[in-house]
Amino acid sequence: MTNDTDTLSLTMSRQLPATPEVVFDAYTDAEKQKIWFGILDTEPGIVEIDVDLRVGGEQTAKWGPNRDELFVETQVFREIDRPHRLVTTSTGSTPDGMTMTTEISITFEANDGGTLMTVTQSGFPNVELRDFFTQHAWVGAFDRIEAYLAR
Amino acid sequence: MVHQDVLDRSFAALADSTRRGILARLGDGPATVGELALPTGMTLTGLTKHVRVLEDAGLVITTKVGRSRQCRLGTERLDEAMQWITLYQGLWERRLDGLEAYLTLEKGQNNDE
Repeated sequence: MTNDTDTLSLTMSRQLPATPEVVFDAYTDAEKQKIWFGILDTEPGIVEIDVDLRVGGEQTAKWGPNRDELFVETQVFREIDRPHRLVTTSTGSTPDGMTMTTEISITFEANDGGTLMTVTQSGFPNVELRDFFTQHAWVGAFDRIEAYLAR
Repeated sequence: MVHQDVLDRSFAALADSTRRGILARLGDGPATVGELALPTGMTLTGLTKHVRVLEDAGLVITTKVGRSRQCRLGTERLDEAMQWITLYQGLWERRLDGLEAYLTLEKGQNNDE
């Protein structure tokens, strides 16, 4: 998480070993997504991906250990600037029916012979909440986050 | 959408430093309203109002013990909000890790040709 001034946001970067064109296409192509989305899974699960790559089009990803525990993320494409930038609105749904809508902005920058891919997801409801979590080492909550990430 | 309402209330309740201070204090263990008021210099009535907002948002649970009111964290609602952030963090890690593994594999195959 980083220091956005007015919204709770999440930012992650990764250096990838291919040109921005190749990364952009691998990231957005439905068939390629199906390969890499679960490439590191050690246990077989469900991965379903549909992509309609055009402004206003939707991409839906469903994944989980089984049919009853599927997470669903639907992204609507807002800006497609191959191979530099991709902006979507994401609506996530958990197996127990919670939903939340946020904005995702991804940049693909040529860097050191490869591509630096940076994801920023913003629109989580409140900056005070982020500050609360970054300033207070609230033992119980962080233990649960760790357990959640480890499962 | 019940869940969105609950989230809105949780976030609104958290948008106040006194209330976040109360939650941080309750993170160490339960306390009475009097014990919570003491370090803030607030009156019992003033502090009770904040506790009520937190209680309405499901972030604090209170029980009457004798003449005082005992407060403790009710973290289920907050967990709900945090789950979103951790869920997406996990999703992006999965995507970036997968993409990296895939591209590394592709690169290796191309180099072999």
